[in-house]
Amino acid sequence: MTNETIEDTTEKPAEVADDDVRILAFLCNWCSYAGADLAGVSRMQYPPNVRDIRVMCTGTISPYFVLKAFQEGIDGVLIAGCHIGDCHYGKGNYATAKRFRVLEDLLTSIGVDPRRIRLEWVSAAEGAKFQQVITDFTEQVRQAGRSPLGRKGGGQA
Amino acid sequence: MREELAAAIREALEDGAAAAVFLTGEDGTAEPRVARDPSDAAIEKVATGDERYPMAGFVMMLSPLLEGGIAVAGRECDRRMFVELAKHGQVDPDRIRFIGIPCSQELADACGCDHPCPPDSIVACAAGPAQARLVEEATSEDAAERFAFWMDSFSRCIKCMGCRNVCPMCYCKECALDNLELVGPESAPPDIPIFHLIRAVDMADHCVDCGMCEAICPAEIPLRSLYRQAREVVKEAFGYEPGVNPDEKSPIEKLGEVSDLAGMEEGFRTT
Repeated sequence: MTNETIEDTTEKPAEVADDDVRILAFLCNWCSYAGADLAGVSRMQYPPNVRDIRVMCTGTISPYFVLKAFQEGIDGVLIAGCHIGDCHYGKGNYATAKRFRVLEDLLTSIGVDPRRIRLEWVSAAEGAKFQQVITDFTEQVRQAGRSPLGRKGGGQA
Repeated sequence: MREELAAAIREALEDGAAAAVFLTGEDGTAEPRVARDPSDAAIEKVATGDERYPMAGFVMMLSPLLEGGIAVAGRECDRRMFVELAKHGQVDPDRIRFIGIPCSQELADACGCDHPCPPDSIVACAAGPAQARLVEEATSEDAAERFAFWMDSFSRCIKCMGCRNVCPMCYCKECALDNLELVGPESAPPDIPIFHLIRAVDMADHCVDCGMCEAICPAEIPLRSLYRQAREVVKEAFGYEPGVNPDEKSPIEKLGEVSDLAGMEEGFRTT
């Protein structure tokens, strides 16, 4: 995956209001992307604020990618992958869990609202959970407001 | 202390070390020197004041050019750099003979350093540990205040790359800060906060808290506080501190076991 993908994804979806939040979701190919697909084919409704990037495993997500997303003006970043123990590469999501913990705590310590970043485990069978996660997270990021991190941002920390 | 230090360096060279690396000069004007002969006059001028230099970075650069052992006179933070670099295969610990210089109490206090004494110090170390502090603004209870403080600090950055270049832990041949996709090349004040946070993320499980980055920063960005916070995150989450135990690998660099994730968050339970 290249950073161009992140930049392409930071464009505001047409159906989202100008002052509404934009969210980037990194979805693992095997579980969460399939879970999103299941939500889609089941016609479950969820907010249109989320753009997603499919990755082969959440373990491939460098913290740099999350920082880059914020730098591009994204207001919230969701990482969703297989449940612990279900990773199709064995332990890929162990790396995700640990990196996420460091990134989340580091961002919090410099004063970034921790509501802007979230890690969830969504399996391929959990379409309803995917819908719930997106709905909850969008609401959570809305409460945090537009992100002040990016050059295109502006609002409250 | 100068006599003991010079004697230790001579002894190492006589014992068969191919080279000795140490600082020479008076307080505040020290420069690194390499001596290969125990009769080298520079050894008598070895510095014993409060001057500091990232010795491990220097040795890392030097070691491929030399054969055999290298004696290094350094402080406890220098020793920790070697421990951490050896873990990452950047220096061969069997080639390094470390000569420990104790820090003075004044230096320990100025650095806010809780480890001023090397374990194998050449003379008795009188300094007691000082409290590792953060700059006051970074400890504000109000997240928005902290964020404003850091963004204000980062905005002074002139992208001189001094923090990276002086850092002994920044040994990567390809640096994320040079990646034009991550950090845009078009402006001298770099993209903030990504420029500083990329380094902070990497420092979390690498930084040995030598503080050279903050000492060298021309914009006086309190980098040491930033990386101390990052170190604290890793220490709190995994109980890991870089540079301390040569046999313990960073928990972030290995996949580990599911038990390592215990207690991190409820959602990580396996079923």
